[in-house]
Amino acid sequence: MSLQNLSIRRKLILITMLTSSIALLLSSASFLIYDLISFRHLLTEDLTTQAEIIGYNSAAAMAFKDEPAATATLSALMVKGDIVAAVLYSPDGNMFAQYFRNDKTLPAILPSRSQEKGYRFEGRYLEVWHDVTLNGERLGTLFLQSDMRQWSTRAKRYAGICFVFVLISGFLAFLVSSKLQKVISGPIVHLEDTMRMVSAHKNYEVRAVKAYADEIGSLIDGFNTMLSDIQNRDTALRGANDELQTRTRELEEEISHRKEAQDELLKAKYVAEEASRAKSTFLANMSHELRTPLNAIIGYSEMLEEEAHDSATVETVQDLQKIKSAGRHLLALINDVLDLSKIEAGKMSLHLETFEVSGMIEEIVTTLQPAIEKNSNTLWVHLAQDVGMMQADITKVRQILFNLLSNACKFTDHGTISVDVDQSTEQGQGWLRFRVTDTGIGISAKQKENLFQEFVQADTSIARKYGGTGLGLAITHRFVQLMKGRIGVESEPGLGSTFTVHIPAQVKLEAVGPIQAEGDSDANFEIKTGRDTILVIDDDVAVRELMSRFLGKLGFNVLTVASGEEGLRLAKQVRPVLITLDVVMPGCDGWSVLTKLKADSELSKIPVIMVTIVDNEPRGLDLGASNYLIKPVDRERLAVLIEKHRLNRFKTVTGTNTAPMSRLSHGQKRREGDAEVSGRESHAKNLTSRR
Amino acid sequence: MRRLRLLITIAMVILPSLGFEAHAQESSVSSEYLIKAGFIYNFANLVQWPSTAFTQPDSPIVIGILGEDPFGTVLDRVLAGKKVNGRIFLVKRLKSIPDLKECHIVFVSSSEMAHLAEAIHLVKGMPILTIGEIPGFAKRGGIINLFLEDNKVHFEVNVEAAKEADLNISSRLLALARIVQEPATDGKKTE
Repeated sequence: MSLQNLSIRRKLILITMLTSSIALLLSSASFLIYDLISFRHLLTEDLTTQAEIIGYNSAAAMAFKDEPAATATLSALMVKGDIVAAVLYSPDGNMFAQYFRNDKTLPAILPSRSQEKGYRFEGRYLEVWHDVTLNGERLGTLFLQSDMRQWSTRAKRYAGICFVFVLISGFLAFLVSSKLQKVISGPIVHLEDTMRMVSAHKNYEVRAVKAYADEIGSLIDGFNTMLSDIQNRDTALRGANDELQTRTRELEEEISHRKEAQDELLKAKYVAEEASRAKSTFLANMSHELRTPLNAIIGYSEMLEEEAHDSATVETVQDLQKIKSAGRHLLALINDVLDLSKIEAGKMSLHLETFEVSGMIEEIVTTLQPAIEKNSNTLWVHLAQDVGMMQADITKVRQILFNLLSNACKFTDHGTISVDVDQSTEQGQGWLRFRVTDTGIGISAKQKENLFQEFVQADTSIARKYGGTGLGLAITHRFVQLMKGRIGVESEPGLGSTFTVHIPAQVKLEAVGPIQAEGDSDANFEIKTGRDTILVIDDDVAVRELMSRFLGKLGFNVLTVASGEEGLRLAKQVRPVLITLDVVMPGCDGWSVLTKLKADSELSKIPVIMVTIVDNEPRGLDLGASNYLIKPVDRERLAVLIEKHRLNRFKTVTGTNTAPMSRLSHGQKRREGDAEVSGRESHAKNLTSRR
Repeated sequence: MRRLRLLITIAMVILPSLGFEAHAQESSVSSEYLIKAGFIYNFANLVQWPSTAFTQPDSPIVIGILGEDPFGTVLDRVLAGKKVNGRIFLVKRLKSIPDLKECHIVFVSSSEMAHLAEAIHLVKGMPILTIGEIPGFAKRGGIINLFLEDNKVHFEVNVEAAKEADLNISSRLLALARIVQEPATDGKKTE
């Protein structure tokens, strides 16, 4: 155990003893040294006196050169135990007489010649030189040598006495300090015991007893104050802890309640998800199931109607027209429901393209012409001068305007419907404003509240009178929101309504999605009749037949196949100018056929128009389809698209030769590829500049 | 011959201390008397005369030689310049016995054997130190007698005679001397 880690008690004893011992040793030593020095001085004087006496006594012998007498005088020193040698030197320095205490004394240590008078210490010997004189005349020199045995004996004895004295006083100091140290160590040890008790048993009620009003006393006071503080805090803490435990218990109960509720909620959620999934599946199935027969109904009724114009009676034609219109209505309803469910599911995406606004309006007006005429309404279209191109999802913009105009037509009788389109700039962004105004029945303030809600018409009675699903405005509203636009309505019941739609001139995609790279324009074009081959791949017999007839009328040579594999084979064989492709087919489905077509370097240039019930335009466009049409097919749109592709082909081909596609040289093909690449590049530039 | 050599040896040892190196080997006779002259000087040092013996504090110590002078010039040379208690020495050659009374020290030469009793008788009771070199001199009333033994010069002292002469002989001198008494009994020789 090192010195520093000794207990206070031992330290105090040690310090006391050390201090007293040091003091004692120092005083003893100084006394001893003083005494020994004085004693030595005394010895010196004594020896000098001896020398004087011997010198006096031997002076006569020296004078008479009586050596025996001198030797006898020296021999008297026998009684002096400490004198080991005495020598008389004659004035010429030679030894005259000598005396040695015992023979062991080596003559070598004796000076052979006399030296100066006086005393000196040589080693452990004291030597005295004394002149022998007679009546003032120097007769010789006496040399005395003492081993100072009295001195060393005295020193030894004193050391012994000192040792014993130190031992005894050390013992006494130990006894005294053992008793006295308790004055200091007692309170400290007591404090330590108290502290240990507190920390061992966590008992904060213990107090240390203050013995004296010294520093340790104030230490104990401080300790006690601290203890009472801790005690207070402990009590408070215990109370808080109890409360905390109660709270924790409550919380645990609460948590277990919540957990049960959560489990129930999870179950409910699971059930709901299951139901939702079932609903989606059902909807998907139903839409497919509903569209397939409708496809046939509408298609055949159209065909029949055309044929009936020539041969059948007027009644038959009218009947067929009714069938067709009912079918179309049904199709519109189904499309609305599906659109809405898609919007609900967040699956509706935008397919941006740049188009001319005027062309789009013209197209809509043409399509709506029958509806306008039905209630004897007049349509005014006002297009502002600066309205040119816009970038948006043309299908959705078209549908928005279509819905608004349809409604206007529906609720207006013998009135005026006007469409105003102009352009403005707000917050550094170009906006297109479409205003559709009618002079119809109008909408009440109360009806306005729920106007854009799903399945709500202005009045339930309206449904009976005017028909409709009540989904039109809801879908319109959602489409506008999708394009970051806004829609508003002003209306005066009985006087008419004005719907205003704002859509950004440059609609931007929020996420990177497929962009329909189509330099589309609604410019008029001639329909060139020729005998180019179109390949129709569809497993549905009705579709194959309808497409065959319709495309045949457009002047194409039509080949139809029922499976993907056969379609691929035939495509390689005949190299059609265009392919229409269904998706859902037994065996090789439309996606894989499309992928293989686009992977084949010879076939990849043939434009493919997807004609299907599956509503997944992005995937089709991603895989390389040129266009995506959903059954039942809008035949007018199909015609427009086919004509556009044919025109593109002609443009390319006429640049070099009028040779048929199948016989194009390799170099020419590359050129065609170059043109397409450059087209894409320009589009990419467009995109970049918009960002 | 043997004796001569011994004397020379002694002289060689003693002479340097007495300062007579130049004249040490004058002759064997003078060597012996050189020692004896030294002895006389030492005796003067160790004997105290009564104050009445001198007229003045610096009166010289008069040494008289009675009879044939064996010293020659040796004694004069030895004592030349020497002082004892501030007194110089004065050496006289005595013509007649009554001249003794004027001296402090009388050296009785061996030639005066016949007049010995007369001379001793004459100075009896006076503070005169009588020194002789005649066997039995001390026993016959002389104070100090010099003699040769083992080739060394020794001396004997008649303490009674010294007391009678009121001379205080130092114990240190006595310690070296052979003490004799007149009733012919030999004193114990001390060393």
